[in-house]
Amino acid sequence: MTSWPDRCALRASVFFLALLSAARAEDTFFAKRIAPVLEQNCTACHGDKKQKGKLRLDRFADLIRGGESGVVVKPGDLKGSELFRRITLPHDDDEFMPSEGKPPLQPDEVKVLELWIAAGASEELPLSAIAGAPAPARPKPPAPPLAPDWRPRAAQIAQLETALGLRLVPRSAISTDGLILRTASAPLRCDDAALARLASVADLIVEAELARTKITDAGLAALAACPNLRALDLTRTAVTSAGLATLTRLKKIESLNLTSTNVEAAVVTQLRALPTLKRLWTFDTPAAPPN
Amino acid sequence: MASPHSHPPDDRHLCSDHGGEYPTVWDLPHVPLGLKQEWLGLETRRHFLGQGVKALGWAGLATLLGRSAPKLLANTAPVRGPALSPHFAPKAKRAIYLFMAGSPSQFETWDYKPALADMFNHDLPESVRGGQTLTGMTASQARFPIAPSIYKFAQHGKSGRWVSELFPHTAKLSDDLCVLKSLHTDAINHEPAILQLTTGNMFPGRPSIGSWLSYGLGAANEELPTFVVMTSKMPHRTNVQALSNRLWSSGFLSPEHAAVTLRAGNDPVLFLNNPSGVESDLRRTMIDGVNDLNRQLFDRVGDPEINARISQYEMAFRMQTSVPELADFSNEPPSTWELYGPRAKEPGTFAYNCLMARRLAERGVLCTQIFLRSWDQHTNLPKNIRLMAEDSDQPTYALVTDLKRRGLLDDTLVIWGGEFGRTVYSQGTLSAATYGRDHHPRCFSMWMAGGGVKPGIAYGETDDFSYNIVKDPVHIRDLHATILNQFGLDHTKLTFKHQGLDQKLTGVVPAKVIHDILA
Repeated sequence: MTSWPDRCALRASVFFLALLSAARAEDTFFAKRIAPVLEQNCTACHGDKKQKGKLRLDRFADLIRGGESGVVVKPGDLKGSELFRRITLPHDDDEFMPSEGKPPLQPDEVKVLELWIAAGASEELPLSAIAGAPAPARPKPPAPPLAPDWRPRAAQIAQLETALGLRLVPRSAISTDGLILRTASAPLRCDDAALARLASVADLIVEAELARTKITDAGLAALAACPNLRALDLTRTAVTSAGLATLTRLKKIESLNLTSTNVEAAVVTQLRALPTLKRLWTFDTPAAPPN
Repeated sequence: MASPHSHPPDDRHLCSDHGGEYPTVWDLPHVPLGLKQEWLGLETRRHFLGQGVKALGWAGLATLLGRSAPKLLANTAPVRGPALSPHFAPKAKRAIYLFMAGSPSQFETWDYKPALADMFNHDLPESVRGGQTLTGMTASQARFPIAPSIYKFAQHGKSGRWVSELFPHTAKLSDDLCVLKSLHTDAINHEPAILQLTTGNMFPGRPSIGSWLSYGLGAANEELPTFVVMTSKMPHRTNVQALSNRLWSSGFLSPEHAAVTLRAGNDPVLFLNNPSGVESDLRRTMIDGVNDLNRQLFDRVGDPEINARISQYEMAFRMQTSVPELADFSNEPPSTWELYGPRAKEPGTFAYNCLMARRLAERGVLCTQIFLRSWDQHTNLPKNIRLMAEDSDQPTYALVTDLKRRGLLDDTLVIWGGEFGRTVYSQGTLSAATYGRDHHPRCFSMWMAGGGVKPGIAYGETDDFSYNIVKDPVHIRDLHATILNQFGLDHTKLTFKHQGLDQKLTGVVPAKVIHDILA
C-alpha cells in the first residue's frame, strides 16, 4: 500500500504528465500554426491518400524524415530547408509548390513556416515560444441564411417542378441560400394557379423570375406570401397597380422589376417607400419618368 | 492457360469510328459474364465520373431533389441542362461578351496618354521596350517613332473617366463601366491571342468561356442554347482574321456546351426549318426513331457523348419554335430603334447583334458572344478605327443602356475588348495625318459593366507609353477567374478530368480573382 504522500506525488505527476501531453497535442506551435497551414496547402498531395515524391506532411515524423529527394526541413536552417525554398520560388517556377496551379501560400503562412523552421522546427515548441508570429486568418463567418434549408423538402420540390413545368433552382451550393423560382423555359405555363400551388415552399423562394408569364394580380397574393423573397421580376406581365399594392407585405424585398407592366406612379411611390427595397425598374410603364 | 492466339479474332470488320459496330468486351470469348457486367458497370461509372466534380455535385443534388439523377445513365432522353448549383451565390446570371477581334488600340480608346502629345515622332526609348522581341511586321524598322493618339479625349460622368472622342455614345456610360487598363497576354499574334482570351489557352481544343459556364451552371431556358455566338458585318475590311468554331467549341466538354452560332439572314440557324413536305409530326417521329437507336447504343457502351447527341436533336427540335420567336423583332417598340439606331434592323450588323443579345439575355441565355472584326490597324489607323467606332459605338451604348433600363444589367456581365494591345510606336510611316500600330501583348484595355462589377472605376495603370504595366496587372487567366467568380464559380473547383489532369479554364498557372473591381 502506498502512503498518502506517495499517492499525492503520483497524482501530481499524473496530473503534470496529462498537462504536458495536453500541451503537446493542443498548444504547441506545430499543432496550432504549422499543421493547419500544411493541411490547407500541402497534404492533398503529400498526405495519407497521396504521397507525391514519397513525401508526407500530415505527420511531424514524416515531415522531418523528408521525401525521395531527401530532407525537406532542416531545423534552424531556413536556407537548407527544401520545403521553404519551394514555397518561396517565383510562382511560375517549375519547382514552385504548391504545384499545378493550386493557390500559393499566403504571405502570413510563409512567415509562420519561416519563423518555425528558424526556431528549430520542433514538435514540442509551445505556441507562445515564437513571439510576433502572424495570427491565423479568422475564418469567414458563415453567411446568414436567406431561407430555411430546402433539402428536407427536396421530394416535394421535385413534384412541384414536374407538375407545374417550372423550376425551383437552388441559388447556390449553400442550402440556406434559398431557391430561384425560374420560368424561362416555359413562361406561358406559369399562371396564377401555378403560383397558388407553391404555398408549401413559399418560404424557400428567394428570387422569382416571372417575366413574360401569365400571372396577374390574383397571382401576386401568392408572391406576397413568400416571406423571404428578395428579388422579383414581373417584366411584361399583366399585373396592375391594384395587385402590386399587396407586395408591400414583402418584408425582405430588395429588387423589383416592373418593366413593361401597367404599373402607375402612385403605387410605385408606395413601393419605393419599402425600407428594404434597393432597386426598382419601371421602364416602359405608365409610371416611368418621361425621357 | 490458353494462349490468346488459340482463339482467332472475330473476323467482322473493325471500324473504330462507328461506335457500336466494333467488338466490345461482350464479344470476347472466355470472359465470364459477371466480369463483363462489372466492366460495363465500371466503364459507365468511369464515363459518369468523367463528368467531373460538378456532375457529381449535380448528381448528389439531383438525387436530393428527386430528379432522376442517373439520367445520364438511364434509358431515357436526357433532360438538357440539369440545374447545377454555383459554388456560392452568383452576382451574374448571364454574360454578353463583345469581342473586338483584331484588337483596338488602347491609345485611341481607353488608355489616355496626354504626355505623348509632346513626343510626336520621338524615338521610343530603348529602356521602355526593354529588348522585347517584336513581330516580323515591325522588327526590321529602323526607327520606332512615337505616335500620339490623333483623337482627343475628354472627361465624362461623375467618375471623370477620360474617353476618346471616337466613342461619344459609350462615353455616356462612363459611370457604368469598369475600365481595365492593365490586361496582359502571352501571345503576340491573333490566333493564339484570341484563343487564349476565348478558351484560356493558346492551343486549340479547349472549351471556351461560354462552354465552361454552360458546363458549370446548366440552362436557365431549356428552349434555347446556353451559349450563343454571332459574328458581325464589318464596316470595312482590312487585315481581317478568320474566326473559327474552335473559339466557341466545347473542347473536351460535352458537345452540348458548344455555342450555337446565329447567322445573319432569314435562317439564323441553318437547316433548322423542316424541308418542304416534312411536317412537324413527321420530324418528331424521325427524331424519336433516331433517339431510340442512340439509346440502344448508349445501353451497350454507356458513352455520355451519345446522350449529348440525343440532347442536340432535342435542342434542334425545340429551336424550331424558339428561334423564330427570338428572331422576330416586330414586337420591339419604337424606343428600341431610337436607341440602337436604324442599322439594328439589318440582320448581321453589330447593332442587330447587340439587340439580339438583349433579347437572348431576356430569355435567359447564359452566354452570348458577339464578334466584330477588322480592328487590326497596322496602317491607316486613324481612318479605320473611326469606321469601326462609328459602327459599334451607338449599339454598344444601346445594349448597356437597354439592359440597364430593363433591370437586366445588374445580373448581366458585359465585357468589351480585343485580344491584345497595340504599340505606342508607329508601324510604317508616321505623319501628322496617319500612322499604324503593331501588336502589343504587354498591356491592353478592356471594360466590363454590370454583373456585380464596380461601376465607374478604372483599374490598373500603364507607363507613359502604355508599353509596360506599372500597377495592378491583370492576366487573361485573372480575367477568367473573375468572370467565373461573378457566376458563383470558383475557378479552382470548376474542373473536368481530361488527359490525366483536372482541367480548368484558368489553366495550371495560379490565377487570381480581381476582388478590387467587384462591387
